[in-house]
Amino acid sequence: MSNVLTRDVLIKWAPLIVLLVLVLFFTAMEPRFFSLRNFARIGISSAPALMVAIGVTFIIIMGSIDLSMEGTVSVCAVVFAFAFIALGGTLASWAWLAIPLALLVGGAIGLVNGLVHVLLKIPSFMASLAMGFVGTGFALLLTGGDRIRVEDDLFRSLLTERWFGFPIMCYVALLFLLIAWFIQSRTTLGRNFYAVGGGEELAHASGLNVNRVRIMGFALAGVFYAVGALLAVGRIGIAETATGSNFMFVSITSVVVGGTALWGGIGGVWNTLIGVLIVNVINNGMVVIGLPGYVQDGVLGILVIAAVVLSTDRKSVTFVK
Amino acid sequence: MSFERIKPHLPWITLLVLVLVVGAADSNFLRPSNLISMAADIVPLFIMALGMTFAIYIGGIDLSAQSVANMTTVVATIALPTFGIGAALICILAGVVLGGVSGFVTTRLFVPSFISTLAVGGIAFSAAQYMSGQRALFMDASLRDSTFGWMTGSLAGIPSELFIAAALVLGAWFLQSRTTFGRALKAVGAGEPAAVASGLNVNRIKIMAFALSGGLAAIAGLLFAVKLSGGSPTLANGFLLPAIVAVLVGGTPLTGGVGGVINTLIGTLIVAVIRSSMLYFEVDATQQQMVFGLILIVAIALTIDRTKLRVVK
Repeated sequence: MSNVLTRDVLIKWAPLIVLLVLVLFFTAMEPRFFSLRNFARIGISSAPALMVAIGVTFIIIMGSIDLSMEGTVSVCAVVFAFAFIALGGTLASWAWLAIPLALLVGGAIGLVNGLVHVLLKIPSFMASLAMGFVGTGFALLLTGGDRIRVEDDLFRSLLTERWFGFPIMCYVALLFLLIAWFIQSRTTLGRNFYAVGGGEELAHASGLNVNRVRIMGFALAGVFYAVGALLAVGRIGIAETATGSNFMFVSITSVVVGGTALWGGIGGVWNTLIGVLIVNVINNGMVVIGLPGYVQDGVLGILVIAAVVLSTDRKSVTFVK
Repeated sequence: MSFERIKPHLPWITLLVLVLVVGAADSNFLRPSNLISMAADIVPLFIMALGMTFAIYIGGIDLSAQSVANMTTVVATIALPTFGIGAALICILAGVVLGGVSGFVTTRLFVPSFISTLAVGGIAFSAAQYMSGQRALFMDASLRDSTFGWMTGSLAGIPSELFIAAALVLGAWFLQSRTTFGRALKAVGAGEPAAVASGLNVNRIKIMAFALSGGLAAIAGLLFAVKLSGGSPTLANGFLLPAIVAVLVGGTPLTGGVGGVINTLIGTLIVAVIRSSMLYFEVDATQQQMVFGLILIVAIALTIDRTKLRVVK
């Protein structure tokens, strides 16, 4: 029995247990929490966050970090909205081209991110933070501070059309989760992320082009940020500079709370799903039981510290910066 | 002359060149009154950057500075009617405590500083929203003038903010270069394992550095609240990027150990000149963030000490 409950096993299942305990807790506090309507609400708020969090999961598995998501999401959302409107304004016309365009833009920003990080040899948290600022600034430049409305009914059916009580955007998010899972577990690139995260020097010594893996990781993350941006626009029907705000804190908290270690090599997209759900259940539950929404940032802050502390094997770390 | 030899002098050369270029383009720029008002405007940012210097000097980063300053604007506004001048002490104490918490979480709980300060920033933001009731608060004008009027007045034509900045930079410089604590900071920044091996209490030094950063961010927030005569949880938004830029273009690299508070003084002036030159060259204000983001990348790339990074993560 004692070796069933080792530290590793506990860490592996802790996020799921936390999620279940949270659901039980909020249900006990307020029975209305446990309803299809409310779960759909949690699903809607989780879908864009899940996409962004999956993107950064790949980066964190490599042991790097990406803080550029707020800027990238804003730029993708704004570019998408402009292109969508310019090309006809409804999905039934050529405006569908705006979707691949947004994904391309996301990938390109991620690529630049990776290039800046790898070629200039700047630690990724700072390279991506700076790129994030550039992105937000660029989105502001494009919009001039305006909000762009995307009112196409077909595109908004992401939110309005429901199957089994959940809007289509939840299924889109699920589809991309499966794609991410495929990339993570069935492709060379996915395995290389773990190789780099598990030990960069070893990966390098065994002939892996670590720099290329890193750059491709950032580009891939950018594509997922773009998907997140599309879902975020689909949710509120507006693209603006502020579309990306708050994604950074929420997505990194989700990834870490889900059990993907900041040091890299451990975790994956399913962990991130659990993490995103934990964060959104907490956010939703606090509102349902009557706590003000602004407690969120503080709770997330405590949560992220606790998660990093729990996932850190103190014996293997000598010091941190 | 190799680049490595010019590098330490690059910040002030940059500043000089920028001032001359902008001065040549616009003769009004070099008028003493313009230079003084430009310097006075940048003081809250400078104080925040001064605090940030300590966090970066030991090889960390403080991403909570902006949230701490935001929270202080609220604390100052709420505490002013009851505590008078004591409100300033409460603000600074709050900043020091939050910075100390960041330091504690970083050193004792092994959470990288960019995550721990981000998290503490989230806590500060929540606290600010709670205390302000998510509204913008305003200070009573007469109360503000009688208590903190000295902060925004002027002496012999020079705004008192500049005296505050001068006092703080002198204090920080003394701390950095004339005390054992300052030497210890340098040791930690230059190489943490060596500092541990030579018997320094590295954890305590790092916690103190983060506490200093928090305290100075709080002073920046306090000054900002007095200047704008009020507080809100988002009042100081937009400070974080220029504060980090100021430290880095001043020549304190992300890897720490070199540079220091005087560098940050020069760095902040560079930021100030770039900002006002953007006005003169009619670059739209919305592009500032983009420009500073790009400058940040260039500044990091030029200053960072790559021999210290075995693997760039």
